[in-house]
Amino acid sequence: MEATTYNYKVVRQFAIMTVVWGIVGMLVGVILAAQLIWPDLTFGIEWLSYGRLRPLHTNAVIFAFGGSAMFAVSYYIVQRTCQVRLWAEKLAAFTFWGWTSVIVLAAITLPLGYTSSKEYAELEWPIDLLITVVWVSYALVFFGTIIKRKTKHIYVSNWFFGAYILVIAILHLVNSAELPVTFTKSYSAYAGVQDAMVQWWYGHNAVGFFLTTAFLGMMYYFIPKQAGRPIYSYRLSVVHFWSLNFIYMWAGPHHLQYTALPDWAQSLGMVFSLMLLAPSWGGMMNGIMTLSGAWHKLRTDPILKFMVTALSFYGMSTFEGPMMSIKTVNALSHYTEWTIGHVHSGALGWVAMITIGSMYYLIPRLFGRESMFSTKLIEWHFWLSTIGVVLYIASMWIAGVAQGLMWRAANADGTLTYSFAQVLNTMYPFYGIRLAGGALFFSGMLMMAWNVWQTTRQGRVVNDAPIPQAVQA
Amino acid sequence: MDSGIISGIVTVVFIVVFIGIVWWAYSKGNKQRFEDAGKLPFDEDNTAGKQGDKQ
Repeated sequence: MEATTYNYKVVRQFAIMTVVWGIVGMLVGVILAAQLIWPDLTFGIEWLSYGRLRPLHTNAVIFAFGGSAMFAVSYYIVQRTCQVRLWAEKLAAFTFWGWTSVIVLAAITLPLGYTSSKEYAELEWPIDLLITVVWVSYALVFFGTIIKRKTKHIYVSNWFFGAYILVIAILHLVNSAELPVTFTKSYSAYAGVQDAMVQWWYGHNAVGFFLTTAFLGMMYYFIPKQAGRPIYSYRLSVVHFWSLNFIYMWAGPHHLQYTALPDWAQSLGMVFSLMLLAPSWGGMMNGIMTLSGAWHKLRTDPILKFMVTALSFYGMSTFEGPMMSIKTVNALSHYTEWTIGHVHSGALGWVAMITIGSMYYLIPRLFGRESMFSTKLIEWHFWLSTIGVVLYIASMWIAGVAQGLMWRAANADGTLTYSFAQVLNTMYPFYGIRLAGGALFFSGMLMMAWNVWQTTRQGRVVNDAPIPQAVQA
Repeated sequence: MDSGIISGIVTVVFIVVFIGIVWWAYSKGNKQRFEDAGKLPFDEDNTAGKQGDKQ
């Protein structure tokens, strides 16, 4: 018999875990920020040392927080815009338990020091295999649902999700090609500059396809829904989709400016990074213009504030990124705190804020309520997050530029003007401001957790949202 | 073939592909189809939130 309801169970599981992992990942981030000021903060316990907590932070916020959010919204949106129940629901349930196991394994192995040492791909080979199985299952569920859709068209969000699922599969398989030597240790299949290039082709596309393409799919659904009007230009979104994904693929070499990478490859990475500005801003304008005629909603609706501020930070960081890829700018910015500021402008400002806004839209609907328990708290969360991000990125800009200038300063006889310790000393006030900004952002997440708890406590679990039967394309 | 010629060919191919995509997206014949697709998030009734079972 044909299903008459949507599967919300798996969406709900991932949505709740998004909040949980967001808090865990950001807490580790706050601890790391404090460790940079007080290196002995964790009493020299090796499991809690900076070098082991740092990959835990990045994996937790990208793959646990961001990943769970993507599973939740892609399962929700693909069902609602295809007007069918998920295909292969047992497999969908497996993706939840499988992905959660990956995260738990990461939280155990990374502090213990098991690492392949590849940035954003630190997990060792047995976990890599589990990721592959989960991801293939995800692809089957997602594309299976698309295939059995009852609507004629495939909504643009699903195009973005499809590209994300496909590309992440390719990136993971290629970059994680490794030779296991024991159960807990493996070595990369690549060597030298090829290894570096594969790593940053992976690393930048993890940003491009995990943290951008996927979250744009989120944006293209939840902004129209929250604003109550269709996307400003669907045709622009089509051009946005193809040009963004096509260009992103080639931008990775900008992580390796002035290294052993051949010069032409460095320039290629720079040029493609500069071109990325066009589709990025096209997409941002498309999202923002969706509000034209509904701007007044921004005054009263903190969920919409989250989403539109997310787009503003997306615009800022996608302007900053291409500028930083220019070789002469990169000569100053690379290896400094500026990069950290840039990343968090994208990760906190764009990814986290569009996710938080979308979760505030989604969670009440999954629990049979009209809205979140407290709109006032969402407003508070919005301002804490915004002030937190601004403090974070502004302090890192100043710190980064100062650091770059001090490192390159030379005396008349060619010796360096400043020692490394002197530069580090200059960083302390900015590290303090960064810690304050991060702590503000984190405290907003705690408010969210309380708000979500109250919403779910008073709500009813919706397992059977009806599929509209009358609508046929 | 030197790298300059390869770059030239690749550049031309990319531009043609891009123009093709823009032409496809903005052609008159596809106007209705993209407008319909853009309304997909709203082709649903909103009774979902009011139904459900208590866990």
